[in-house]
This record gives sequence, structure tokens and C-alpha cells, in this order.
Amino acid sequence: MKTSMKTSMKTFAVVGLVCVAALSSCKKDDDLITVPPPVTNEGEVLTTMTLLFTDAAGVQPDVTVTFRDPDGDGGLSYDIFDTIRLMNNTVYNMSILLLNETTNPAENMSVEVLEEDHEHLFCFTNSLANLSILRTDTDGTYEVGLQSQWTVGNAQNGTVQIVLKHQPGIKNGTCDPGETDLDVTFVTEIQ
Amino acid sequence: MQSFAQFIATLILSILLFSAHAQESCTYQMTGYVIDDHDRSPLSDSKIYLKNSKMEVFADSNGYYVFTGLCAGTYTFYCKHFGCDVVTQTVTISGNTVQNFYPEHHVEFEDVEVVATKLEEEMSLGTRELSDKERNEIKGLSLGDGLTKLNGVTKLSAGNNSSKPVIHGLHSNRILILNNGVRQEGQQWGNEHAPEIDPFIADELAVVKGANSVRYGPDAIGGVILVNPKELRKTPGIGGELNLVGLTNGRQGIVSATLNGNFSKLTPLRWRVQGTLKRGGNVHSPDYFLKNTGSREYNFSYGVGYLKQKYGVDLFYSQFNTDIGIFSAAHFGNLTDLQQAFEAEQPLESANFTYAIDRPRQHIEHELFRTKAYLVTGPRGKLSATYARQYNKRLEYDKDPPLNDSLANLNLPALQFELTTHTGELIWEHSRMKSFNGSVGITGIHQGNTYEGRFFIPNFRKMGAGIFWIENWRSKTKRLEIESGVRFDNIYQRIYMWQGDSIISPAQNFMNVSGTLGAIYKPSDQFVLRSNIGTAWRPPNVNELYSNGLHHGAASIEKGDSTLVTEKALNFSVSAEYTGKKLSVVFDGYYKIINDFIYLKPTLVPTLTIKGAFPTFIFDQVNAHLRGFDLTVNYSITPEFKVISKASILRAFNQTNNNHLVMMPADRFENSLEYTFKDGKKYTNAYVSLAVLSVLKQTRVPANSDFAAPPEGYTLLSFSAGIDLPIKTNAITLGVSVNNLLNTRYRDYMNRFRYFTDEMGRNISVRVTVPFTLFNPSTSHK
Repeated sequence: MKTSMKTSMKTFAVVGLVCVAALSSCKKDDDLITVPPPVTNEGEVLTTMTLLFTDAAGVQPDVTVTFRDPDGDGGLSYDIFDTIRLMNNTVYNMSILLLNETTNPAENMSVEVLEEDHEHLFCFTNSLANLSILRTDTDGTYEVGLQSQWTVGNAQNGTVQIVLKHQPGIKNGTCDPGETDLDVTFVTEIQ
Repeated sequence: MQSFAQFIATLILSILLFSAHAQESCTYQMTGYVIDDHDRSPLSDSKIYLKNSKMEVFADSNGYYVFTGLCAGTYTFYCKHFGCDVVTQTVTISGNTVQNFYPEHHVEFEDVEVVATKLEEEMSLGTRELSDKERNEIKGLSLGDGLTKLNGVTKLSAGNNSSKPVIHGLHSNRILILNNGVRQEGQQWGNEHAPEIDPFIADELAVVKGANSVRYGPDAIGGVILVNPKELRKTPGIGGELNLVGLTNGRQGIVSATLNGNFSKLTPLRWRVQGTLKRGGNVHSPDYFLKNTGSREYNFSYGVGYLKQKYGVDLFYSQFNTDIGIFSAAHFGNLTDLQQAFEAEQPLESANFTYAIDRPRQHIEHELFRTKAYLVTGPRGKLSATYARQYNKRLEYDKDPPLNDSLANLNLPALQFELTTHTGELIWEHSRMKSFNGSVGITGIHQGNTYEGRFFIPNFRKMGAGIFWIENWRSKTKRLEIESGVRFDNIYQRIYMWQGDSIISPAQNFMNVSGTLGAIYKPSDQFVLRSNIGTAWRPPNVNELYSNGLHHGAASIEKGDSTLVTEKALNFSVSAEYTGKKLSVVFDGYYKIINDFIYLKPTLVPTLTIKGAFPTFIFDQVNAHLRGFDLTVNYSITPEFKVISKASILRAFNQTNNNHLVMMPADRFENSLEYTFKDGKKYTNAYVSLAVLSVLKQTRVPANSDFAAPPEGYTLLSFSAGIDLPIKTNAITLGVSVNNLLNTRYRDYMNRFRYFTDEMGRNISVRVTVPFTLFNPSTSHK
């Protein structure tokens, strides 16, 4: 009798220990979610870059040029990739609009870039001899490039590459430092 | 050319060693009895052996043993009997010697079954284990770095904070890590996701080279890594061990302590508590600091067991937590940035020393709870049941917080995975019945993955079940063993992902039969020959089926293929071990045929994104052949002086496209010279060693599969020394190692950060291990 008491005491002690350890040690179990969470924390995706051209003299019609990849990098490919078509011998003011269209309503990302303009720089690489591009805005020290002036000469075809550099703490007015946030090369035609 | 010269050098060395071996003469013998200290009864089957040597003998039924072939000199002998503590005896041999051993035999523990998963007594696949000395030398290193001490095991790394073990060129989902007998389930598909294990838990670190699906289930195509903790304390009392490690590169400090106990009133109840703290800062290449390469780690574990002769239950819990910095200059926006980083002499971002960890960084947690129970069924059988739960959490923070301030203030990871896995196993084993022993069992797994943030792999649920049967036949002379096994598995997998605005949830089912057949033949006591033919398989992983996106760490777009089929391997392996008095040789040869080998194939059309054009890779299946060998030759020139030569050769070929396979380790050779001091009154096991590691340039790579050509080969020098200082029944162990002694500048092909930076420079590690006793009932009673 005494032995069986002792044995059952021991068994009880062991079972108790197992239970305490099992219950106390486990972290939150998330595996019962069968459906992925909504994409609230998808982070920031740049889906769309739109270039808005207006004739400084107010004669020629406005030009809107867009590159759009609605689901961001990877996944489906871009669905809009316009050509820049500008009238010859015209001076255009150009402003860049960046959107995140994975959210509804779309988020205006150029506002975010403007808020951190001391960390950002747009760089234009232009293959056309008859076109010159100048950044017209500033962060107080260096240019930014959200606004620019495009001086168009005679008819010619080529490309313009627009790169957005993220240069936190390392911005020096040149395109060398930093990481690339955007890089789109537009086919450009002067008509 | 270099490789050929190296091969010839190794060959000549081997021949020299063989011829020298023929001339030695060590003819002394030591004899004696092994007797129970309590009741003076003979202890048959006791093992008498030399530390760090393969020489061992067993006592006969009268407790009598004969140890032959000893040279003159001083040796430390160990005597081990089941249920007793190991007895240590230092003996000076100058002629034939008589020496008795008196282990203390605790009746209560007689025949208590070993609960921790031990290595099979013999396996037809070569199993290679780290020696005590090697385990001491790797203290403070990660699991992936430490295992490279084993010949044939290399690492795939992403900087200094992430290294994954590679067995014969295979890694990630092609190898299996058994942590405490449980399949380690983390996000192992990721090339930069290192195993979430604290190496200080392990008392035994071993690698089974070759396909081993029959016993362990899917994924074990390349091999199995066994990480086993020490058995729970058998003798009454409380004691432990304190480990202190310091490493100069990254100014790393590590403290790890173990406390184990056994209640004298309730002897079957045993426990252990263990914990590790680790902190390191920016590491240094020979010329510069690497920005943001610090790490922090805090781990703990405990084990409790109530272990009786006929039944027992134990449980184990461990937690692994780490924060690691990702080398800043290895993060880039697009291909132009990558090109720029690659062409730079030095990383584009410079840094000084700091312990601070900044973005980009990762936080990883892994939790394991395991319980195992056993019941002895009849005179020869044992039934055991295991249940384990694992929880893995991985948070990855991008280099830049979101532009939007309110989002940035939340400080959420860009990517988060949570993986919960339940595994169970029910096994019945029988010890030798006539000539057979074996086991039969069923296993089950349930797994759920959820993510938050950026899409990389979808949510999924996976369920699997397996059934296996393995038998081993041994001849009457015990010279020949044949083992054979068969297994059936079924895996069901269902994924949940967004497609546009709706959720799709396709399901897939994978079934497979695997088999193994092997033989072990011992023509003499010095020789063991093994050969094995086995099949292994793995279902395609979710990332291979469904990933679709920009891989930020690799500047490439990866596209999964949901039509991928199961990867199947047929593995031939042959190994030979010779253990002579002066010479020992281990040879492991292999030939693997892997059908439907899944790999990332570059496509010719790059994908155009808003960040520019990216090279695009799709998951494709080909037939692959991997063959090679690992050779270790160990020769004692004198009792003190030893030369160890290792060679590891691998050829991996894509048969379908008639091309090489990408990311396979290059040939490597290591030669070391070791001097062991004779044990003195105040110290034992003192040694110094110098090693030269040569890794050749990987020239066997397919064209257009990589951003840059493989780096040049390199040669590294390293130094190591250790000593044991006996205190009462134990010894304090001291060790010092210097890796990359000459501060050589080099890059390794298997490091994904090779585009951006040189490897770490010189690294000196200093190690102290102090065993201690807090409470000893046998002394306190007196």
C-alpha cells in the first residue's frame, strides 16, 4: 500500500511537471489563420510615375506620360508605359507625380519625397542633343528634381532616363551616392 | 593545374604515411579487471578506451580485458560501464602493465534505457562526429561555422551573421537537422536563413552523409545533422559547467552555463537548465570594418526527466532569440547599384566599430518543446512516443523605413513569417532477436505558416504522415551486418494567397516510397567497410512553387512554378575506415543521381520594373549528378606528433543541359600538424596545432548564371592550442585559436556577400570551460 502511494505520488509529480512546462512555455500560436491577413502592412510600393508637362508659354497642349506597374515589382508586368512626345521648339515645365496604387485611395508618394527632399534627388540622363533638362526646385541646399524645365529644340528621337536616388545624410548634389528607388527609361520623341 | 598539384601532394603525403607505418613497432600490452567499486563484482562489457583515439577494447564476462599494441609513453585511459560514471586513469607504459578499474556501479540505473536520441550503433552510411577537442575549438561559433570542422561539410553564408551547413554541396531543404531528435522546422528555404540552434546545447554534433529518408522522412537528400544534448544527470547531486568565450574580431563575448541535478531522494528524477548570452559588434576585414554586422543572441533551455528501468518520460524546452545586423553595403536598389558596389575596391559604405545594430536587420525566434515517453515491452522491445512543437518567427527590416511618417513610426518589419510545427512519432524498437534488430514506426507532421508585410511566400498549411520499417541482420561472427528499410510518406499542402482581390487556395498532394539497403563489413578489428544504396525525396517547397517577386538581397526577380514535381534522389555511398596504431584513414565516397532537381534558372528576358530592369530567374527541374569523396588521413609520426590531411572533392553536373550546377563548393584541402604534450601532474590533454586550409577557385560554373565570376582560391593559416587543468574529479579546459592568422584578404564563392566585401580578417578566440559541483550527497554524508 505504502509503495503504491509513493508511486502514485511520483507519477503525479511527473505529470504535474509536464503540464506546467507545457502550458508555461509556449508562445502565441498563429497557425490557425487559414486566410492571409489583408495587405494593410504591405509597406510602401511605388507603382506609378507620371510626368506632367505644361508649356511655359501656355500655347501647346499639356502632355501626360505614365509608367505604371500596378502590383509593384515582380508579379504582373507593367500595364502602362508611355512615350514622351513633346512639340519642337517649346519650353515645358515638368513635375513628377509618384503614386502607390496598391492602396485605395492611391497614396501620393511625391508628397512623401517632398517631405524628405534633403534625402532625395532625381537624375535625368538625356540622349537627345536637341533637349536640355534643368531641375528647378531645391531642398534649401541642393536641387531635388520633382520640378524641372525641359527646353525642346528641333525634331529628334532618343531616350530620357529618370532615376530617383535615396541619399540619407549623403546628399551632395551629384547622382553618385545612395540607393536607387526608381529607374525608368522613357522613349522620347520631339515632333 | 593548382588542383592537380594539390591532389598529387596529398597523394604523395598519403603514400609516405603508409610506408612509414610499416616500420613502427608498438608491442606492449595492458591487462586487468574491471570491478564494481561497491560489491566487487566483475563488470563485463565495460569499454576501455583512449581519449581522442579510436583504440578501444571491451572487458569479457569476467571483467577481464587486454589492451594490445601500446607504445611506450603516458596515456590517459577511460573506462566506461553502463550506469556508471567514466573512470579516468593515467598510466605510464614502459612494458607490459597490469591496471584494474573500479567504476562505481549504481544498481538503480542498471539497464536504464538511454532516452536521448543516440546514434545508431552501426550504420551503413558514414556518420562523422566532432571530437571533444573539436567541439571545444568551435565554442563561440555558429552551428554552420562550427560544423565545417567535419570533412565534406562546408557552409553557405550571407556575411558573418548567417551561415548554413552544406553537405556534399546540398543545403537548405535538402538536408535535415535533428535537434534533440526533432526535425528542425524554420524558414530553411531561405539562402540567408541560418539554423536557429544554440550550439552550446549540443554534447554531440554529428553528420550522417548521404540520403537517409527512410528513418527521418522527406528532405534528407544530402544528409542529416544530429544535434544532441548531454544525457540528464544520473548520479545524485547538483553540478554544472560554465563556458566563457571571447573573440577579437567583432569583439564578441559569449557566456554559457549549464546546471544539472538529480535528487538523491528521488533518483529517477533528473533535470538540467542551460542558457547562453552572446554579443558582438561590427566585424573587420583585413582592411576595413563592415558596417552593421553586429549580433545579439540570448538562448535558454531546460530538460526534466523521470526515467525508470521499465518506463520513463522526459521533456525538453529551448528558446533561441537573435538580432542580427545585415551588412549595409550589401543592400542595393537595382542592378546599376549592384554593378557599382561590385566594381568598388572597398564597400561603398564605411564604418567604425560599434555594437549597435541598425537597419537592415533581422530578428529571429525559435522555440522547441519536446516530450518523449518510453515503455519497455517484454525482454527485447521498447515502445517510445515523441511529440514536439516548434514555433519560428522571423522579422526582416528593410534598410529604409517607409517614406510615410505614420507608417515609419510603427516601425513594423517589411516582412514577417510565423511558422508553427507539430511533429509526432511512435516507434517500436527491438534489440537483437536471433540475428535481427530493428524498428518500426509512424510519424506525423502538421505545419502552418503565416506572413505579414511584403509578399514573398504565401500562407500555407502542410500535413504529412509516414510509416517505416528498418531491420538489421548481423552475422554470428559479428563481422558482417546488412540493413534494409522501407518507408511510405504522404504530404498534403494547401496554400492561401491573394490573386487580385480574391483569395485562392490550391491544394497539392505528394506521395513517395523510399528504400535503403546497406552493408557493414569488418574484415579485421582495424577495418570497417560500409556501403549503402538509398533513395530520398522532397516535395517542392512553397517558395519554389509560388514565390513571385523581387529578391531584395539578390537583385533578381524569382518566379515560382506551381507545376513542379517531387525531387527524387538515388544515393550510392561507400566508406572505408582504417584505424591502425599510427595511421588512421577515413574515406567517404558518393554518387548521387537527383531527378527533377529544382534550381533557379536564369531567363534571357529581364523583367522591367519601376526600379529598372532585373534579371529574372524561374524555378526549373533538371536531372543532376553529384559525385565526390572526402578523405581524412591521420598519422602519428611519434606519440606526440601527428599529421592530419583532409581533402574534399565534389563534381556537380546538370545532365539535362549538359552543364555544371551553380553554387557548389570548390575543392578544398586541409593539412595540419599537431603536437600533444605528455600528460603532467598538473595538466592533461595539452596540445598545439597549426593548420593550412586551401580552397581552390570554383571553375566549374555554368555561364550567365551569376553577376560575377567566382572569386580566386585562397589559403588560410590557423593556430589552435588547448589544455586541461584537473581539479578533483573534473578539469578546467582552456583553449585559444587564431583563425586567418596572416590576416589574408580573400573572398569565398559560397558567401553571397562576396560581391561587396572581403571575408573577416584575423580572429583570435579565447575559451574557458569550468565544471563545478554545487552539491554532492556522497561527500556531504561523510
